[in-house]
Amino acid sequence: MIPDPILVAEGVVRSYGQRRVLKGVDLTLHPGEIYALLGHNGAGKTTLVRAICGRLRPDAGTVRLNGADPARTPAARAGLGLVPQEIALYANLSVRENIETFAVLAGVPRAAIPAAVRRAMELTRTLERADAPVRTLSGGFQRRANIAAAIVHKPTLLILDEPTVGVDIDAREAVDAVIRDLRDLGVAVLIVTHDLDQAGALADRVGFLRDGVMVLEGEPRALVAEAYGDQMEILVHLSEGLDTAGEIRLAAEGLEPTRRPGVWTRLDAGGYAAAGRLDARLRKLGLAPREIRVREPSLANLFTLVADRKAA
Amino acid sequence: MKTRALMALAMMRVMALELWRDRAALVMTFLLPPLVFLIFSSVFAGTSGDNLQPKLAVTDLAKTDASRRVAAALLKSPDLRAETAADPAAVRARVKSGQVDVGLVIRADPAAPGRPFLIVADPSRAVAAPLAQARTQQALAAAAPDAALRRSVEALTPALGDLTPVQSARIDAAAAALRAKPPALKEDLFDREQIAGARKGGAVIAYYAGAVMILFALFSAMQGALSLMEERRAGVADRLLAGVAGMGPVVTGKFLFLTAQAVVQAVMIFVVAQAVYGVEALQHFALWLPTTLAAGVCSAGLALGLVSLCRTRDQAQMLSTFVILVLAAIGGSMAPRFLMPAWLQSLGWLTPHAWVIDAYQAVLWRDGGIGAVYKAWIVLAAVGATGLGVAQALSRDPQR
Repeated sequence: MIPDPILVAEGVVRSYGQRRVLKGVDLTLHPGEIYALLGHNGAGKTTLVRAICGRLRPDAGTVRLNGADPARTPAARAGLGLVPQEIALYANLSVRENIETFAVLAGVPRAAIPAAVRRAMELTRTLERADAPVRTLSGGFQRRANIAAAIVHKPTLLILDEPTVGVDIDAREAVDAVIRDLRDLGVAVLIVTHDLDQAGALADRVGFLRDGVMVLEGEPRALVAEAYGDQMEILVHLSEGLDTAGEIRLAAEGLEPTRRPGVWTRLDAGGYAAAGRLDARLRKLGLAPREIRVREPSLANLFTLVADRKAA
Repeated sequence: MKTRALMALAMMRVMALELWRDRAALVMTFLLPPLVFLIFSSVFAGTSGDNLQPKLAVTDLAKTDASRRVAAALLKSPDLRAETAADPAAVRARVKSGQVDVGLVIRADPAAPGRPFLIVADPSRAVAAPLAQARTQQALAAAAPDAALRRSVEALTPALGDLTPVQSARIDAAAAALRAKPPALKEDLFDREQIAGARKGGAVIAYYAGAVMILFALFSAMQGALSLMEERRAGVADRLLAGVAGMGPVVTGKFLFLTAQAVVQAVMIFVVAQAVYGVEALQHFALWLPTTLAAGVCSAGLALGLVSLCRTRDQAQMLSTFVILVLAAIGGSMAPRFLMPAWLQSLGWLTPHAWVIDAYQAVLWRDGGIGAVYKAWIVLAAVGATGLGVAQALSRDPQR
């Protein structure tokens, strides 16, 4: 039996002046689910998160957090934890002092604070450096302390904005482990990220937001399989700029331009053999490629594909 | 309500720990104010005390017996730091270059009718000219009383009529006697009374204790209020705005901390003022404390309100520097207000500095009661409350 959703956003519309940033976005999140919200800068991710946090009211549509409107009902936000992209902690305070402070500010009862702080540090594996000032910690440790401060009041929905930006692989894996543990405890996790590898590895569902519209949503593997099937992606790198005639010839070969200058792409079930045939064909047309690459599609490809289709 | 109070206290604790662990900031916050107070009070107490000694350049063009005696008396006077100059041009050059505060040219015999003395004054050191004039008159009376007598007779003759030969002979004899044995100079025109309970330089000390207190309270409050900007930049505000309490308790906690910080700064300054200069802060504690609290509330609220109006840290830095300097200058924290033009003194009442300084002077110097300071308390508290209200309102703005 699927539990009731913690977050339900339906038809959310929001404009800043004449610019419509969200154009009817739907988003549902259940307990124990990790959802990765993807999209380029300006796609509307931050505005959607602000609407979920109750910091702005949609012009149209609804947001229900734990059954209530977070913009009108502060109590609805009691079950919300936000991990900003920056290290939103006081640098001269220790990890413990920071988490204690945010526990008080989140309304945790005084008597429950020591246990809540300890639990948050255990879950984020920050207990060993509990009394170290935050400024002395490594980037990865600071990231986990950043999460600890957001979960000290046991939120049902945790929103993480770029939780692994600027950290090394080991630190990222440690953060990922924390997020999985929280998911296993029944916390609904919404990750806003550009890290497509992390999204692919962690998320139960992903959503692609583009120009204020949720253009694609689903389980990562299923989305990739649906988009690519048995096809491989052939990437053609051209060394010189093309004139209009050259672009028409490439399009006639089924190639589409990507965001990267001089790089064109095509999906083909023929794999390497098809890439060889394409290479010969392009040379005959006088469009000798500098390089042709063949690769299996991934979430990153899908993201690029979604974004590049728009750009093209 | 209790929960929100605990939240505000938690923010106070954060601010206190942040300051405690930044030792340089701690020293600057609490040791710099009494140090600056000591410097200000030393400088300004000296200029308004009895030992003002302007530097004087003297040249004697008359070279008469009386003029030589006047010049010599001026050079020996303990009330001046006088030196000789070769000619009027040298006097003017020294005054213009700032080597001396004022110049004196003795251009005719002081015993003869007319205006024998020329004062060369620098408008930027205006107080030196009347002082030099007074010292010269004193020197004339003490060192050349015969010349002074002859000038007096000359001045009175038009009113009394021409002197008879006998009277003229008597005046000549008196002048000769005075010249031979000048009488000890008595200041028989004036008695002097110090205001009851006043200590030497006390008014100026009380003035500058208040002036430095509000200067540093506002400066430190501005620095502390800038943490609002840091919290926005670092995402702490985002985290808190997503929670149940929002930024309200955070702003309140900062306000309480900045007020407490101002009170501690005031304690540091007035402890020094009492220990070094005998300012009776402890004896007036009942009125000193509310005055200090009002000043603290004002500086904390004003700083939070102004910083909240800014969208970036750079804006806030610029605004705080501008506000601190302008308010301090107009309000009398840098130079005494009584030296300012009347319109600027009136303008000063638009600054908290003037109210704070006046309230401390009323309490500590004029022995005023509540009636002398309650208006200042109301004004300062109202400014602080308005600033806090602005900060609270703007901290809820989701676009910030």
